[in-house]
Amino acid sequence: MRADYLTIGGGLAFVEQHGDPDAPPVLCLHTAGQSGVQWRHAAPALAARGHRVVVPDLPGHGRSEPAPGGPVTDLGAYAAWCLELVAHLGLRRPAVVGCSIGGKIALDVAVRASEQLAAVVAMAADAHTGGRPSVRGLRRELSDVAAPSRGDRTYLGTLAVVGRDVPRERAELIATMHRREDPAVSTSDLIGWATHDLREQLPRVTCPTHLVVGDDDLWLDVARVRAAAALVPGGRCTVLAGIGHYPMEELPDAAAAIDGWLTEMTTVREAS
Amino acid sequence: MTELDERRGTTSPAAGDRWFEDFAVGQRWTSPPRPVTADDLADFTRISGDDHPLHAGPDAVLQGPFGVAVAMGLLQRLGIHGDAVLGLLDTHWAYRRPVRVGDVLTLEVTIVRCRRTSSGDRGVVTRHMRLLDEGETVQEGTTTALLRARGAGPDPVVRAFGTVPWAEALAARADLAEDLASWDGTVGLRCEDDEVHLRVYRGRVIEVTRRAPRGATFTLGADAATWLEIVEAPENPFMRLAMAGRFTVTGDGYEYLRLTAALHRLVDAAREIA
Repeated sequence: MRADYLTIGGGLAFVEQHGDPDAPPVLCLHTAGQSGVQWRHAAPALAARGHRVVVPDLPGHGRSEPAPGGPVTDLGAYAAWCLELVAHLGLRRPAVVGCSIGGKIALDVAVRASEQLAAVVAMAADAHTGGRPSVRGLRRELSDVAAPSRGDRTYLGTLAVVGRDVPRERAELIATMHRREDPAVSTSDLIGWATHDLREQLPRVTCPTHLVVGDDDLWLDVARVRAAAALVPGGRCTVLAGIGHYPMEELPDAAAAIDGWLTEMTTVREAS
Repeated sequence: MTELDERRGTTSPAAGDRWFEDFAVGQRWTSPPRPVTADDLADFTRISGDDHPLHAGPDAVLQGPFGVAVAMGLLQRLGIHGDAVLGLLDTHWAYRRPVRVGDVLTLEVTIVRCRRTSSGDRGVVTRHMRLLDEGETVQEGTTTALLRARGAGPDPVVRAFGTVPWAEALAARADLAEDLASWDGTVGLRCEDDEVHLRVYRGRVIEVTRRAPRGATFTLGADAATWLEIVEAPENPFMRLAMAGRFTVTGDGYEYLRLTAALHRLVDAAREIA
């Protein structure tokens, strides 16, 4: 693995790269408030399966500097940032795999630049949340005065959205690590999540696209994810039994699953 | 037949007459299937006089109360109620999906609340009743019956959600010393109309009462079926239910959020004693 600080979007971005630089690239995007550490197991395993894996910390997250304009509330800004990173690294026809806001950002990248992409896997994301969670409530949470016990709520709230099939120890590790978030950043991410509506744009996506959702994911309604997949020409949808909001950390072998989806989509594309 | 067997739903419909003391929160029964026929539609339309176009034609929807009537009939055929029943006190009902000719309804009954009346010789038993068609809930609600009591109590407290004895058992079980070491206030817990206040000072519950002098700082409320789910779920479901909007919180919302971990711990205690 190598790690670099790259100037993207006017700030320094912490970017991990795993695997053969000449292998087909895949960009892996983390969830709201979190960082590339969510891919710590999946990324090297994907690299071992023949991918060049690029894992950035989005601006304001992990080891990246804050976005110059402050916490981002528009997921489209993250999508533009990802495309700048792709150009900076000279990635040719990358796949984009994201989870939660990362999944929705991946869909937005596909809306903006399908022709540049090999495929998209959007996990735990739909086209439009229908206003959940409440933006009014989230804006209130931006003030510490209205947001007590943040650590407890993040920990227990994360545990509540991890799937029933995930061993308790791993679920607790996921929840413990989630407490590292910056509340201003993660709340802003969620405002972006709740307000970003891709329903009109998804029919324009031309790259192979696969939406994946766990049936224990309280944040997502499976019917909405299916509806989002149906908006994308040729879009697929997979429902993971016993899995929650963080498939790349919850699946026993997430890299194998993701590699399978990517291989399936890129093979179909080459055949057609 | 032990109470445990009944909770598993293996009781025989011919279990005989049950008095108030023979019911316990968490007991469950499932009825045999009951097909909905064209005669049902015609008969119910005749009885009710409701001939709205919705209730005619090949796609006719049966009047909502048809479901309540069928549910009461299926309940009766379970054989769990006999001469000890003195009357039906109330029905709270919701229509989730239309019922049509050709549906095959089953009834799931769960006892969610048992309370002795103040006279002591009778008790009220609330039954959560769910009508299903092919596994989908079409109608659900609660009905409450008044029954004769065999003795004068005392009655089990560990599932008497929202009562003082229940909250006293909770307070004895839950160690709030660390979570609430810096807190001074009153936690209200409510199940339907039963509300109880836990007066907390620096991590100790100093009083459990129907109503603290200055009221509750906040009150966490849910219906009886939700409280039963809380104690029976495989994992502590507090956050899942909170995120799904299954609780009603009144009072100081900031203090409610502040006490997230303490409430989670109280729910742990409620599950342990239940």
